[in-house]
Amino acid sequence: MKEFWTALVLAGVSFVVPWTAQAEPVKIAIIETLSGGQAPVGKMFLTAINYALIKLKDEKVWPDGIVVLEYDNQGGPSEAADKVKAAINDGAHIIIQGASSAIGGQITEDVRKHNLRNPGKEVIYFNVGAEAMEFTGSKCHFYHFRWNGNAEIRLRALLTAMKDTKTLGTRVYVIGQNYSWGHDVERLVKEYAKFGNYTVVGDVIHDVNKIQDFAPYVAQIKEANPDTVITGNWSSDLLLLMKAAGDSGLRVRFATYWMDQPGNVANAGATAIGHFNVSSFYPEANGEATAKFADDFKAKTGQYPVFIQGHTVHGIWGLGEGLKKVRPGPDGKLDVKQLAFAMETVRVNTSMGEVAMRKEDHQALLPLVVATVSKDAKYKVDGTDMGFKPVRLISGKDAAGPVQSSCKMERPGA
Amino acid sequence: MEFVLVSVLNGAVHGLLLFMVSAGLTLIFGMMGVLNFAHAWFYMLGAYIGFTLTRAVGFWAGLIAAPLIVGLCGALVERYMLRRVHRYGHTHELLLTFGLAFIIEELIKLFYGDFPVNYAMPAYMKFTAFTVYETNYPFYRLFMGGVALVMFAVLYVLLTRTRVGIIVRAATYRPVMVEALGHNLPRVFMSVFATGAALAGLAGAVAGAFFPTGPSMAVDFGTLVFVVVVVGGLGSLEGALVASLMIGLFISFSAGLNWSLADFLAAVGLGGWAREVGGLLTLRLSTVAASMPFLLMLLVLLIRPAGLFGERQ
Repeated sequence: MKEFWTALVLAGVSFVVPWTAQAEPVKIAIIETLSGGQAPVGKMFLTAINYALIKLKDEKVWPDGIVVLEYDNQGGPSEAADKVKAAINDGAHIIIQGASSAIGGQITEDVRKHNLRNPGKEVIYFNVGAEAMEFTGSKCHFYHFRWNGNAEIRLRALLTAMKDTKTLGTRVYVIGQNYSWGHDVERLVKEYAKFGNYTVVGDVIHDVNKIQDFAPYVAQIKEANPDTVITGNWSSDLLLLMKAAGDSGLRVRFATYWMDQPGNVANAGATAIGHFNVSSFYPEANGEATAKFADDFKAKTGQYPVFIQGHTVHGIWGLGEGLKKVRPGPDGKLDVKQLAFAMETVRVNTSMGEVAMRKEDHQALLPLVVATVSKDAKYKVDGTDMGFKPVRLISGKDAAGPVQSSCKMERPGA
Repeated sequence: MEFVLVSVLNGAVHGLLLFMVSAGLTLIFGMMGVLNFAHAWFYMLGAYIGFTLTRAVGFWAGLIAAPLIVGLCGALVERYMLRRVHRYGHTHELLLTFGLAFIIEELIKLFYGDFPVNYAMPAYMKFTAFTVYETNYPFYRLFMGGVALVMFAVLYVLLTRTRVGIIVRAATYRPVMVEALGHNLPRVFMSVFATGAALAGLAGAVAGAFFPTGPSMAVDFGTLVFVVVVVGGLGSLEGALVASLMIGLFISFSAGLNWSLADFLAAVGLGGWAREVGGLLTLRLSTVAASMPFLLMLLVLLIRPAGLFGERQ
């Protein structure tokens, strides 16, 4: 009889406990550019994040579910800073952002300072697109995780693939945009001269998205007479550069970071054929596996994953793996510090291969694919007869550069 | 020599293109006193209409219809929007066109999507006009320059040599008298605004096939056309032409020059020190080429506040 009463009391308590402990869902704040000129890119991130979250919700990686909050950073660091404050006030545990290193730079600093000043109320910055080197270098900190490539990783992949296929040549020109990203690419191309066995025959840095006529720059490139032009340019700066080069009859190969941004191939037309691009995903990159992933993505979002969407999905899946490793504390809440420790060693199996977080600098080692624009590609882009034909699939380990010595990460006591 | 020739060719055509886009703006301001913020968005509208019609009927039809349609839009904007706020002054006109710019951009995104569209010139126009020092010079660049020059000539003759021009110019200075002489002043203003918009539409249809036609094309040009108009003198057509050419050449030459302050200091033996300091001293001219127009504007405003050809008002 006594046991019966104990059981009854226990049963009652077990009903009551969740109510008193207030179990809490994980709150994810997406702070993207959802208005203005760069909004299309922000929306692409959003599509990929929401697609990836379907899996996390299906797998119930967190007992009390996941709540997504969306904020518009309006394309500027100052608005992003306001939105970080708003997100933290709304109880966000994880802040996700991708488009633009300038905005990401603001967010990573804000998050670092917030965590210093508010121990016990930490937030994580989940970087899915900002690729400047400083994020995992001088600005690296314990609560930042980068799931995309960076200037160095992508360059290694490009050089490896182009060297393998003997398409690189020995004379390289580098052209870039005048901010942290463009400067990174320029510096690295010079540093990797030995690795790629080439000489840098010229370099130029220009204003970001302000130049309509690239003909003068093409004239400079022509004078230097390179085999390959490497550029980290994106959006109209890339498009105008390629078009101007095509129009002037310049015979060079472009090796780019962002040619697969929608609209580029359509707009450049036949000029784009034969140029190289490095990306985190192409449907043809890894046979059946990547094709299957691409089809599923298309079934749920209406488009094949392109541009930055591959690694964004993989990164959010990584978050799912991390969340699986931590359980709600006695108060039913997520301990963000524990999650950050768990995230340090997360591995995700993807259609492209394994994506693994590197503990030392929180840079994901992700497989990359180098492809060339061709009419033989199975998946055409932009409604043209051209697509990206993979040349080499490069594993995360091979693409990864060394940990930057400027990263001095301070780990909190567990 | 090669550098000078290629830079002049590139800069002049880019300048003429700038003129094409800003001619309508300066016309509208000069004749009506309305600062049309949405001007670059009319340019974008022209490009998208050109793109649509090229697919449906053909490139040349698009080139002719785009300015007409954009002009019609301009007329409607003047008749049903601007005229109502005219009596509240410049601020209201500016705010109205500012809002209009947003609406045009969002509407275009709604119909054509967020990314650049594939607006291309017909294949038979895609050939090399001539070759200078092994650099191909595309025919289409010459075509764009030619259209700009014809546009200037027609406008100039229209304004200075015809009866219509006399009425329009008179309406700027003595509107009451012109009205008293029996001319329909509101209609004159409406047609001026429509013409200005049509010019932007034509520029869009011509240049959109060469440069990318996308949702950001208006923003890219938006500030530059104002620089052209300010440098040339508000309302002066000749001023706009000269300013456009200057800006085009300025950008083209500075983009090709890798000079930095450190190079000048090196001449007096301070090169090593300058390179160590870095920052502004090693910044190359080619890096800030796109900022040159703004430097030019600053200088002009300091020396001749009314602009190169502007009249002091």
